[in-house]
Amino acid sequence: MMAMESHLVQAEMVEATEFPELADRHHVSGVPQTTINDGAGHVVGAVPEPNLVAAILEALQ
Amino acid sequence: MTKLLNEAIEKQVREALAGMKEPVQVLFFGSQQNCPACGDTRQLVEEVAALSDKISLAVHDVDADAALAAQYRVDKTPGLVIAAKDGDTVTDYGVRLSGIPAGHEFTTLIQDLLIVSGRDSGLGAATREFLKSLEKPVHLQVFVTPT
Repeated sequence: MMAMESHLVQAEMVEATEFPELADRHHVSGVPQTTINDGAGHVVGAVPEPNLVAAILEALQ
Repeated sequence: MTKLLNEAIEKQVREALAGMKEPVQVLFFGSQQNCPACGDTRQLVEEVAALSDKISLAVHDVDADAALAAQYRVDKTPGLVIAAKDGDTVTDYGVRLSGIPAGHEFTTLIQDLLIVSGRDSGLGAATREFLKSLEKPVHLQVFVTPT
């Protein structure tokens, strides 16, 4: 729901089995896995908000 | 055509959607090519949209409506955009679902409808502050499986 707070954020749920090439490219082995800016960052599992914020910050470096 | 949602599920979804506050615009993008899940996904969102008068559904084709697909940055089919609708104004919050929202992800679809309808992300204050400070685009892709 981060997308709602900034027009710069797009949040896309991707059904991994329908898009296996994309899932393979991002080495998706467990779900949910969140990929930031096409591979600049990854978060595995459902994590608390601050963890996702930290991962986004790191990916933007 | 056989329904995808049985009566019990329909009842449950109708009750959940009764919690919708403001209208929501759902844009479905399908394709005539290479899209085995498009038919079921379209039928599923049509059945869901019929359960609340706060949901407007527009059905598009990524090839026939290529400009619109590009505008909404939809590059996969089936693709869903869950947007806010106020009168004739559609506000895109950047919420997308790519692939059929079945199984556990059906819940995600219903939750997305409710949250966009409420016009409130429900996020913590610190997270909201961080997001407001962003200067570069952030594309989050959450990979999930239906089971």
